[in-house]
Amino acid sequence: MNIKKDDSLSLVLIGGSSGSFVIFEEILKLLVQPLSFAIVFVLHRGKSSTSVLPELFRNRTNVFMSEPHHLDTIETNTVYFAFPDYHLLIGPDGRFYYDLSEKVFFSRPCIDATFISAAFSGIPVKAALLLSGSSADGAFGVKVLAQKGFATYVLNPKDAESPRMPEAALQQYDKHTIIYKSTLIKVVQDILYSHAM
Amino acid sequence: MVLIEYSELETLIGRIHEISGFDFSGYARPSLLRRASRYLTQHTMNVKDLLLHIEPGGGIVYDLIQELTVNYSEMFRDPDFFMKVKTDVFSYLESYPALRFWVAGCASGEEAFSMAILLKEAGYLERSIIYATDLNNKVLTAAREGVFTLGNTRTFSENYLLAAGKNSLSDYYHVAYNMAVISPEIRKKIVFSLHDLTGDGVFNEFQFISCRNVMIYFTLELRQNVFRLLYDSLSMLGFLCLGKRETLRYSGIEQNFKIIDSTLNIYQKIQ
Repeated sequence: MNIKKDDSLSLVLIGGSSGSFVIFEEILKLLVQPLSFAIVFVLHRGKSSTSVLPELFRNRTNVFMSEPHHLDTIETNTVYFAFPDYHLLIGPDGRFYYDLSEKVFFSRPCIDATFISAAFSGIPVKAALLLSGSSADGAFGVKVLAQKGFATYVLNPKDAESPRMPEAALQQYDKHTIIYKSTLIKVVQDILYSHAM
Repeated sequence: MVLIEYSELETLIGRIHEISGFDFSGYARPSLLRRASRYLTQHTMNVKDLLLHIEPGGGIVYDLIQELTVNYSEMFRDPDFFMKVKTDVFSYLESYPALRFWVAGCASGEEAFSMAILLKEAGYLERSIIYATDLNNKVLTAAREGVFTLGNTRTFSENYLLAAGKNSLSDYYHVAYNMAVISPEIRKKIVFSLHDLTGDGVFNEFQFISCRNVMIYFTLELRQNVFRLLYDSLSMLGFLCLGKRETLRYSGIEQNFKIIDSTLNIYQKIQ
């Protein structure tokens, strides 16, 4: 495989399901160009909801947003959305790969698939955030990222509209940093604009 | 879940090649890594165990290859694609006395059955033959049987209706022992056969090739070879269809095609 990876690339991964949409909108409003990293957002959604997220969020931020194609190179200063009905993988060559194997936790895209592929890609993960959702998807993925030494953040289950997802993450691994709703903005700003890896 | 590193995957790929001759070197690593990890998890073993267990002539390596090459599909996956084929492609086919379709990488036959139903409803099925090929023997056997769970058919029916199907999907299957069996009138126009896109050559000339969500499993380099094979297998003005998130970019043949629909990835060979 050709490794033509951009050495300056780093990732911020965000995963969520029901109850995560609003929080993600808040995060988008905090973005200031240019971002020195790429954001990859994996949200559970129905397969019929095609290519609407970049449109929906268009007036929330002026950062470039995209639902990537297979083999697209991951660029900094871009927000990517996992396309419905495929698993989105991150390759060691800095490209996106789609995978069509069966659903996990009844979900495609599944958060674990993206998070695990990022953990093994060799691309630095600046931060991984797991928000709200009613399944345990993402819990294992965020643990793998933490064990690889990356900064991981989980929404306080009490602050989540659907607590199952963050609960499962904290059950599987108790050293994630917990994000509270009251301090969300401050924490996210620190994550996005700190220079620490 | 059992996880594996890319370095271990390379060792596994090398070992499989040595033992069976099957070459995964042209397969996209990220999805292969995911599949290998899923295989190990299902069989509760780690890579070291697996490497110890696969041996020449043994069944495990064969089983492993089948598992790593299984593709997943649904009938009428992406209903908007089928609507577009009906409205924008079929009219071109009107003048042909005999039509040949190729579903390349057909998995368990879902796409081929969908095409046959679409052709049937448009009145073209009688003069059509659909060649449906895959490199995986296990899924081809399933495809020839044309049997699906009733759970599957629920999703398929929803898709079919969204694709503006004229009847009810259940008109094209019957239920036996709690399973749905695709009817003979649909199956008789489909030839299922073994064909490896990465090694086998051109075997016929087609007016229409559907190869959706198959090339996402190949590396950029191998993908170009497969694109060449598809190009060579298409008649002039024939159609090539790819999956929704794929593109003709980096294919080496993009200049030979006219875009019919850039979102649904339908192309027509023009030179």
